[in-house]
Amino acid sequence: MTDKAVPVIEGLFSDTAEGPRLLGSRCAACGTPYFPSSAVCHNPECSDSRIEEAFFGPGGTLWSCALQNYPPPPPARYDEPYEPYLLGMVDMDEGLRVMARINAADITAVEIGSRVELELDTLCKGGEGEDVITWKFKVVQP
Amino acid sequence: MKDVAVVGVGMHPWGKFKDKTLNGMCRVAVEAALSDAGIAWRDVQALAAASSRFSGGKGWGLNGNDIVEEMGMTGIPVYNLSAGCAAGANAFNVGYSLVAGGVYDMVMVAGGEKMPKGFIQTSGVADTTDPEYVRQLCVGMPGPGFWALLTRRRMAEYGTTEEQLAKVAVKAHQCGKHNENARFRQEFTLKQVLESAVVSDPLRLYEICPVSDGAAAVLLCSAEAARKLTTEPVWVAGSAVATASFSDGITRGVGGMSPPGNTHHSEAKLAVAKAFEQAGLGPSDIDFVELQDNTVYYELAFPEEWGLCQPGEAESLLEAGETMPDGKLPINPSGGFLCFGEATTAQGLFQICELTWQLRGQSGPRQVPDAKVGLCQTLGLGGNGAAAVLKR
Repeated sequence: MTDKAVPVIEGLFSDTAEGPRLLGSRCAACGTPYFPSSAVCHNPECSDSRIEEAFFGPGGTLWSCALQNYPPPPPARYDEPYEPYLLGMVDMDEGLRVMARINAADITAVEIGSRVELELDTLCKGGEGEDVITWKFKVVQP
Repeated sequence: MKDVAVVGVGMHPWGKFKDKTLNGMCRVAVEAALSDAGIAWRDVQALAAASSRFSGGKGWGLNGNDIVEEMGMTGIPVYNLSAGCAAGANAFNVGYSLVAGGVYDMVMVAGGEKMPKGFIQTSGVADTTDPEYVRQLCVGMPGPGFWALLTRRRMAEYGTTEEQLAKVAVKAHQCGKHNENARFRQEFTLKQVLESAVVSDPLRLYEICPVSDGAAAVLLCSAEAARKLTTEPVWVAGSAVATASFSDGITRGVGGMSPPGNTHHSEAKLAVAKAFEQAGLGPSDIDFVELQDNTVYYELAFPEEWGLCQPGEAESLLEAGETMPDGKLPINPSGGFLCFGEATTAQGLFQICELTWQLRGQSGPRQVPDAKVGLCQTLGLGGNGAAAVLKR
C-alpha cells in the first residue's frame, strides 16, 4: 500500500494555495468559461477569440442532483463493494456549469439550490493502492 | 423543391434476437417497405442508411453497404449517416433531400441495430479529448443518471410527483400492448412501475428504455412516382435536422457555461421548429406526436419545450388522459421507446413507420382518430436533433 494520490486525469484541477480549483480557460473577449480548457473560443457570436487560463471555484449552486444506484459501466471507476453515489450539476459562481459527484450522506440531505463547495476527493483506489482523485462538491448551506 | 411522398414502410419487430443477423433483420424491413409500395429492389435508385458504432459487418459501424449486398448489388449509391440515436431520422432527411432536390425519384432509407447487452457505454477508446469519456471516467454519469438529474430538476420546478412519472410508463404500455412490432407488449399497473427497481433515483427500471434489436425501412419517392403507385400517399410536409446551440444548458462533457435560462436539448427544439416552418404548420396543427422517450421525463418536458402545451401543463394532460390516442395531444401512440427499447439507428425510422400507419388509418386499436398530421422527433448523442412532419 502507498499513500500516493494521483489525479484521475492530469491538468483538470489543482490544490492551490487558495484551495481546490478547477483548471480551465476563459475567453477574455466574450467571457465564456471553458472546462476542460479550450485553446480557442467556440462562441459563434465571438469574433475575437482571446483565451486566458482560468481557475474556477470553490463556490457554486446545485442545479440538480440524482443518485447513481447501480454500478456504472466502464470507463467509470469505483471501489468494490459498490456504494451508490450522488451525481450533480453545479452552477459555479464564475458562470461555469459543471458535472460532478456530490459528497453527502444521501439524496434526502441535498436540496436543489443548495450552496456547494468544490473539493478534491478520492474517486477510487488505483492498481497500486494509490488514491485516484477527482473533483466533487460538498453541501455547505442547504 | 419537389413534393416527396412516403410510399412504403416496413419493420422487423423490436426485441432481442440472439440467433438473427443484422443483415437478415434489415432485409425483413426493406422487403416489407418494398412490398408495401409495390416495387422491386432493382427500382430503388439510392439508399440512405443510418449507421452507428454498435453493429455492422465492416467494422466501421456502417451498414448501408451491407444492406445493398444483402438485397442485391445493383450499384446504387449508399449514403451512410452517423448521428447517434438521431441517425435514422438524419438518414430520412438525406433521403428526403435527395428526392426533393430532384436527384433521385426513388430512395430507400433504412436503419437497423443489434445492440450490445446492458446499458449503452462509451466508445471504449481511452481518449481524454472525448468529452463523453472524460465525463464517465471522472464523474461516472451514464444516461439514466443524467436523465435523473433532469427529472429531479423538473420535480423541483413543477412539483412533478413520482406517481406522475410512473403514469407516463403506464400510459406507454397501454398503447404499446396493441403494437405487434413492440418488444414489451404487456400492461403495467401504477404499483408495478412504482415497485420496479430504482435505477437512478428518482427514475425506475420501467421508466427508462432498455436497448433492443430492430430494423426499419422507409421508401421515399417523388410525387410523379407516387401517383403511379398509390392514390393515397403520405406526404413529407417537413424534414429537418439540427445540432445543439452554443448556449444550450446541457454541457457536452463535464463543463460548459451556465445558460441564462432553461435551454435544454436545443437540437431537438431547433429541428422541430424547422420542420414546422418548412411544413407551414404549427404546434396546434398536429394530431399526434412520436417523440424520443428514453425516459418518462421527456414525454413531460419535450411537448412544453416545443410549444405543444404550456410549461408545467404536461402532467395535467397526462392525468386527464389527453396524451392517449383519443386525447387532445396524443403522444407516442406506438408505445414509444419505453415499449420498443432502443435500437439506435432504427428509432427515427420506426417513428416514420408509425406516422405513416397512423395517417393511413392502419393502426388498429392504437389509432389516433382521423389523424391528418403527425410530428416525430429523435435526439442523438453529440447534439444531434431531427424531426419530421408528415401529412395525408
